[in-house]
Amino acid sequence: MTDSSRDNEAQLIQGMKAGDNESFQEAVRAYTPGMLAVARFYLDHSSAEEVVQDCWVKVIDAIRNFEGRSGLKTWLHRIVANRCKNRLRSANREVPTDFSESLEPELANRFNAKGRWDLPPKLQFHDSADTLMENGALSDCLDKHLSALPETQRSALMLYEAHQHKSDDVCNILDVSASNLRVLLHRARQKIFLMVETFQETGEC
Amino acid sequence: MLMCKDLAAIASDYIDGELPVLQKMSVRMHLMMCRHCRTFIGNLRASSNLLSAHSSGKADEEFLRRIDERVAEALLSVRKNKDSDSE
Repeated sequence: MTDSSRDNEAQLIQGMKAGDNESFQEAVRAYTPGMLAVARFYLDHSSAEEVVQDCWVKVIDAIRNFEGRSGLKTWLHRIVANRCKNRLRSANREVPTDFSESLEPELANRFNAKGRWDLPPKLQFHDSADTLMENGALSDCLDKHLSALPETQRSALMLYEAHQHKSDDVCNILDVSASNLRVLLHRARQKIFLMVETFQETGEC
Repeated sequence: MLMCKDLAAIASDYIDGELPVLQKMSVRMHLMMCRHCRTFIGNLRASSNLLSAHSSGKADEEFLRRIDERVAEALLSVRKNKDSDSE
């Protein structure tokens, strides 16, 4: 975190502690997407939205005891994760876990019996990420594939890549072991890799 | 010896710098000799950058406004309670 973003965060926290409506609006915009990503790890879409809304109301009181030992983002994500876990506990539901193979079957099939490439990647994704994202069709395609990912993989991926949490934080928030997190991340990335490859070759999603 | 398929299985760990030193060395050796795996690692890394650049974090505006409303309401009732306490 840069000094200026740390100052901004400190200011935001001060505003929230003082009960300033505008500070809350700013925080809601900055942190809700990540909080939703956490909640979706545990719950279906509408329950996840419900939990995130409830959390924001809870934060109005809780923020007064926030001491800044972790960043605001991590603190908020933990609140969401705890709420979700309580909810699952009361509904007596388990978090589904699929942590088996680290290779996607579709990719695993592209190697021969000796473990060499049978169908190697043909093209290089040479464009930079920013240029690729200017391609609206690719961006839509990415959205589509992200929403098709298993919840566990998507949450891990979003928290790690888009919300830039460190591995330890993600493990803590989602209550998964370091090795499970590695598998979740790798499985999700392979799917995105396969999607971009198809898109570059065929222009279709 | 590390085969292409083994490398593909640990590619994310390599990209994120999470491999133990010896495994990292054998990945590097393999990459020096294998063009396909170089392309694969490059493309997997590009996919990962793509995700960081993609603002899939966006939440829909109507949902955000609903949160604003609930927060504003709750703030108001906190304030009212305070006022009645001080009376």
